[in-house]
Amino acid sequence: MQKIGTIESIWRYPVKGMRGEELPYVYTAFTGVMGDRIYAVAAADGSPGHPWHTGRDQEEFVLYKASYSSSEDLLLPPNLDATYSEWEPGIDPLYPDADAFKVRVETPEGVTYDSIENPAFIEDLEKLTGRTLRIHTTQRGIFDARPVSLISPAVAAKLGEELEMHIDKRRFRANFYVDWDNQDDPFYEMSLVGKSLKIGEWLELMIVERDPRCEMITLDPDTADETPKLLQHLARKHNGDAGVFAAVLQRGRVNKGDPVFLK
Amino acid sequence: MSQSKGNESGAEPLAMENFRLTLDGIDHIVPIAAGETLLQAALTAGIDAPHSCTQGRCGSCMSWLRSGEVSMASTKALSKRKIERGYVLACQSLPWSPDPIWLDFDL
Repeated sequence: MQKIGTIESIWRYPVKGMRGEELPYVYTAFTGVMGDRIYAVAAADGSPGHPWHTGRDQEEFVLYKASYSSSEDLLLPPNLDATYSEWEPGIDPLYPDADAFKVRVETPEGVTYDSIENPAFIEDLEKLTGRTLRIHTTQRGIFDARPVSLISPAVAAKLGEELEMHIDKRRFRANFYVDWDNQDDPFYEMSLVGKSLKIGEWLELMIVERDPRCEMITLDPDTADETPKLLQHLARKHNGDAGVFAAVLQRGRVNKGDPVFLK
Repeated sequence: MSQSKGNESGAEPLAMENFRLTLDGIDHIVPIAAGETLLQAALTAGIDAPHSCTQGRCGSCMSWLRSGEVSMASTKALSKRKIERGYVLACQSLPWSPDPIWLDFDL
């Protein structure tokens, strides 16, 4: 196997559309990064195929902070070692009970809800947005396309250079940010579509498609200020794509700093 | 006065000879055929108008309707706030009234 990069950072988003959290390591299952996008807010007037209330509907939604009450319990399945040692080549590990996935939410105004499932959270959001909303949850994750997303920080840097402005990598809301050894091509991950990667000791991914971007990348992750020209520029100069989606071939733990190999 | 409308009724949009389009600080007069969206007309005219999915989902063709009226088959990529500000999706926009259309991509 050829080493082609290094995991720069690992992220998950407990609530679809809200701010993410950086992790030192995490288990990644066939259904994606443990604890990623377990909750979403669904809108009654949303489209049947994509009913989710996100920053596309309320820009400030990207500033909402969602965090697991027991975040450290949601990094690795409790019986992970046993699944490796007793069930070669591995059996599906046990996830914690649903209670462990309880999520706190803090609004940009500093209001904190002890649980996203506290009715007051939805009531207040409905008053703010004028929409009829409800919480949707599933431990398999709520993804637009594929369970894992991956991009290089070099993409944000290149787009920033082209637009002469700072582009924060967090706009792209990926699970894995990767520093590629190939530093000549900032969009190197595009060349990996159809190829398999091994990350660290266990995880194996198939890069299945490019990530066609939407308005979410126009929102500054710290201010929610809009920069429509970023999406326009991406469409005109880079075919509208930034980053790639992956399917999981072999589950396992990933650590920040892990090497990425081309299989 | 600009205005955008949904077009769930499927009513026929208005025929119009051309419209004004601003991109990169340059004004263009774009011919438009009956039934063409503003984006289709711009691309036919050889203008490098931003676009990606062309199905009203991604928002890459979001632009500001400075004047005129359009109907949009889908507004999914636009928040209520953006619609109120006069933003439209060029890939979904058909002329809707005789008022001259001015579409501005320089957001």
